[in-house]
Amino acid sequence: MMPTTHPRRRAALAALAGTASLTLAACAGTASSASDGGHATLSWATSYFPTHWDPVVGGSGAQFRELALVYASLTRTDEHGNAVPDLAKSWDYDAAGTQVTFHLRPHLTFSDGTPVDGAAVKAAIDRAKTQKDSALFGDLTSITSVTAHGLDVVVRLGQVDYQIPQLLGERVLQVASPKAAADPAKLDQNPVGAGPFVVSRLVPGTKVTLTRNPHYWDAKDIHIDTVELTSAPDAATVVSGLQTGAYNFADIDPSQASAAKKAGLDVFVQPGFNAENISINIHKKPFDNPKVVDAVRYAVNRQEFVDKLTFGYGEVTDEPFPKGYVAYDPQSENRYPYDPAKAEQLLAEAGYRPGAVKVDLVIPAASPEAEIVQSQLGAVGIGVTITVDKNWATPFFAKDLALSLYGTTGRDSAVQTLTAHFGPNGPLNLSSPYEPAGFEAAVAKVRRTPLGSPDYAKVLQAATRTGLQSRALVFTYSDPNLYAKSKDVSALPTNPGHLDLTGVTVGGR
Amino acid sequence: MLRRVLSLPSGRLAIGVLVLVAALAVLGPVLAPQDPLATSGTTLAGVSGSHWLGTDNLGRDVLSRLLAGSRVSVLGSVEVALVALVVGAVPGILSVYLGRTIEWLSLRLADTLVALPFLLFAVAVTALLGNGLTQAMVVTGVLVSPLFYRVSRAATLTVARSAYVESAVVAGASIGWVVRRHVWVKVLPPVAVALAQTVGTGFVIVSSLTFLGIGVQPPAPTWGGLLASDLGFLAYQPWAPLAPALLIMATVWACNVLADVVRDVSGEAGRALVAARGSRPPTHPSTPRTSGGVS
Repeated sequence: MMPTTHPRRRAALAALAGTASLTLAACAGTASSASDGGHATLSWATSYFPTHWDPVVGGSGAQFRELALVYASLTRTDEHGNAVPDLAKSWDYDAAGTQVTFHLRPHLTFSDGTPVDGAAVKAAIDRAKTQKDSALFGDLTSITSVTAHGLDVVVRLGQVDYQIPQLLGERVLQVASPKAAADPAKLDQNPVGAGPFVVSRLVPGTKVTLTRNPHYWDAKDIHIDTVELTSAPDAATVVSGLQTGAYNFADIDPSQASAAKKAGLDVFVQPGFNAENISINIHKKPFDNPKVVDAVRYAVNRQEFVDKLTFGYGEVTDEPFPKGYVAYDPQSENRYPYDPAKAEQLLAEAGYRPGAVKVDLVIPAASPEAEIVQSQLGAVGIGVTITVDKNWATPFFAKDLALSLYGTTGRDSAVQTLTAHFGPNGPLNLSSPYEPAGFEAAVAKVRRTPLGSPDYAKVLQAATRTGLQSRALVFTYSDPNLYAKSKDVSALPTNPGHLDLTGVTVGGR
Repeated sequence: MLRRVLSLPSGRLAIGVLVLVAALAVLGPVLAPQDPLATSGTTLAGVSGSHWLGTDNLGRDVLSRLLAGSRVSVLGSVEVALVALVVGAVPGILSVYLGRTIEWLSLRLADTLVALPFLLFAVAVTALLGNGLTQAMVVTGVLVSPLFYRVSRAATLTVARSAYVESAVVAGASIGWVVRRHVWVKVLPPVAVALAQTVGTGFVIVSSLTFLGIGVQPPAPTWGGLLASDLGFLAYQPWAPLAPALLIMATVWACNVLADVVRDVSGEAGRALVAARGSRPPTHPSTPRTSGGVS
């Protein structure tokens, strides 16, 4: 005998079944959207959704990766970190090394139809040097003038500087359409570049949809039709989004790597130049005493940062470069090993009783990194009070703080990294205008050394060594560029510090 | 009132929980078995003899942090309730007696405060004045105060229009005397109910703000802060949010139950209820008495 069902219950069951089918259909639609109908979509959840889309204004290293979807640069970097052609197909220096001419690729246009020519590049450099809210003018001090001749751009320098091709890459010279840049405020939320993708819809701070740019110089190697870049929700929910198919690509916090792996996602570390540091102002007490700075240096247990914050994906570093990079100086490695007893002794020699040193550690947001610093310095007798200041950037860049934390994503030019950290006007030098003795001369020597010279590595590492004499910075660990992707997204090129979608496929196409 | 509250099982349970929470607030930092700020190499450890609730991502003892965080959570919620009481109840009573202009202004002000989202406002105020629990709680208390304003005003209006109060006024009684002698006793029970409710609401607000990292400077532990940090490590410790979440839930539940009990035992009907329960035969329910019993 067939079981009977009450009509109302039957209707409820039918409604439930209908809802379930619709939900499943919706989920299925989301999950398979990456390659539906032969359309390859990269759904990317990012923790670094750009706040500014004008490359001149945005100062965040991490956000340049996302801006590179829209903007191409004069040069880019290869997997070894060397400058290779992008909008410029080649370049050459004059004999004196004070002038470099970039030769642009022909027949390129920005997405608004404006031609990519020497005038456009000159406008981009001039804008970066002069626009009131430019975050880049400090990086272009070597450049005295720029002239354009058709597809050639002649960059004249105030000093010999063979770093320029390295400098004018993705980090410093993403080229915007000069027509669009005539209204910088509009450009800031309506980006127009000549990169691999074109913005089709942008919801500020939330989501941007980009479509493949058929006029990009390397369009044949861009296989993704659409990129949906979404501001990532809470770190703990990104993996769930990847599991359900809401995204197929995301940067993840190291604490989520285990869950991502268990969910069958590809978890990988993209090489980079990330380096975290403790920033010290040697003009403020108690750091005006070199022994106190040395005590901090010896009090830092770098491995604890790696273990607790990166879950083993990062690595210790006492330099602003990762091990193996050309600028990394092996001679400076572990100059100040973890030695709390020595730190205590130095504090005593400086005339401080245990616990007598009190400092404020001012940071922009609560972070476990600060708590580790507090704990480690506390262990040797330096009392640290953590203060979260939402307006931290103002006192930090005005060099008003005594102690803070900073993390860099690095620069394509090693010299730029060095000057930013150790130079007298370096934005990341909390002790400006202090610089270690001989630093300017060491950097000038690097600039004078052609990148292909056999001496280049030696000279560069010597400059790093000189910079690391600085009492203003204690480098701690390298935060990993950790990503998770679904298996249907192919592997990315391993360009350090960048996210390059060249050759990347979704769903096998 | 307390005896009436304690005469009901739900009242005893609620008071018991709240006394326990108050004890944690007072003695928590002393009872903490380890330094709640001391990190160690044992990170994200499970429950063990040395760490009854495990350790967090920096190797700190979770039980110690939970105990040490009680004081901030309790004081914050009490602060909200007291500020709301003072800012709301006093103008609520006075608005009845201070003339039409004051009455109109205070009513519009209360309407305006009700319209403001207190969590968002607290976030904005801490951004403006600095990240401290006091400023966050004071502003939240002010925004919650319309509850007390309305409750106390409604009770005052009822009393003020009663014949015996009007007689007293005609006989020359001052407003102050009327308020002290007649109004206050009528206003107290509904205000007590609102106070218990507000302490519960205060807990939710403090937990929400500290969950967002607002109101306290790291690494000070709070229940909300513990909950927030635990959520980042669910893959390692899926059970970790239970302890702070249960503490918050139990405290808010106890406040709400206490509010219900205070409401139930207030006034003549409450006396009757308590008296009825006191004289109820073990097996036969009795009808409430209208007078007598516990006072």
